Amino acid sequence: MAPTTDPPFASPVSSSSPGSPASPAGWEAPAAPQGRVEATHLLVRAGEYVCALPLAAVRQVLRSLPLYPLPGSAPELKGLAEFGGDLLPVLDLARLARAPQGANPTFPVTVVAWAGPPESRELVGLAADAALDVVVLPAAAVLPAAGIGGDAGLVAGEALVAGQLVRVINLQALGQGS
Amino acid sequence: MNGGFLVVRRGGATWAVAHQEVQGLAGRGAGFVVRVAAGALAADEVLGVTVGLRLHPAGGVLRRFWPEAARGLAVHGTLPLVLIDALAPPRALLEVEPPPLPSSPSSPSSSPARDAEGVLEEGSS
Repeated sequence: MAPTTDPPFASPVSSSSPGSPASPAGWEAPAAPQGRVEATHLLVRAGEYVCALPLAAVRQVLRSLPLYPLPGSAPELKGLAEFGGDLLPVLDLARLARAPQGANPTFPVTVVAWAGPPESRELVGLAADAALDVVVLPAAAVLPAAGIGGDAGLVAGEALVAGQLVRVINLQALGQGS
Repeated sequence: MNGGFLVVRRGGATWAVAHQEVQGLAGRGAGFVVRVAAGALAADEVLGVTVGLRLHPAGGVLRRFWPEAARGLAVHGTLPLVLIDALAPPRALLEVEPPPLPSSPSSPSSSPARDAEGVLEEGSS
């Protein structure tokens, strides 16, 4: 059984689709036609950036898991963690998104998510600073992230959410070679 | 692999070596040296021996960010554990020179299983 804690959501940066004012009632779960589900993203603070993760790929948001570093790993890999009897590689989301580290990179949140192509997806942990909100990002709202130098397509693009630039993460690209 | 595993800690991580691949174990300073086919591995601590690890292959994400060979991954208690490939162990473990082999069968020793530097040879107990 996977460990369960209260999702440590922080104050949201927005509560609605990009370009529209936030609903005074806050975010409500979309009554979900398929395209809307695919466009729904979890906003996560990672260093100095906000990243958008496809909500369909997110399995759980946890307070940070105990990490065991692997000597010789790339800096993006924070270590291994035990999750429900299985092992997760836990990655530094800020590094993956090419975001400058925040003033206090303690990674209080681990987002457990499916990564890699659908035929060989696997669970990973993404160490982040805070889970913020859930928003709908239609494909048209995501602009190509030219010049980011993302890692093998990991940064799918950028979108403007309530006036804030958000990096949209393509988790399917994570399991592919660099 | 059902024959048991030597479990050690090194660099904050937990590692296992299949019992049949351990050629020797020696104390060195505050740590230990585990001899396998590829050479001598450094260990900070010997955690013990275990059997019945439920091994999983390393996934693509781990292989991408940790480009080392491994026979598999498992959970030992609550500790993530990497089962090393004794023919290609992680470089982080290969940080010590191999301990000298016993030089001569005629060398006197108080115990046939332990040489002057305290190397336990395979098959000893």
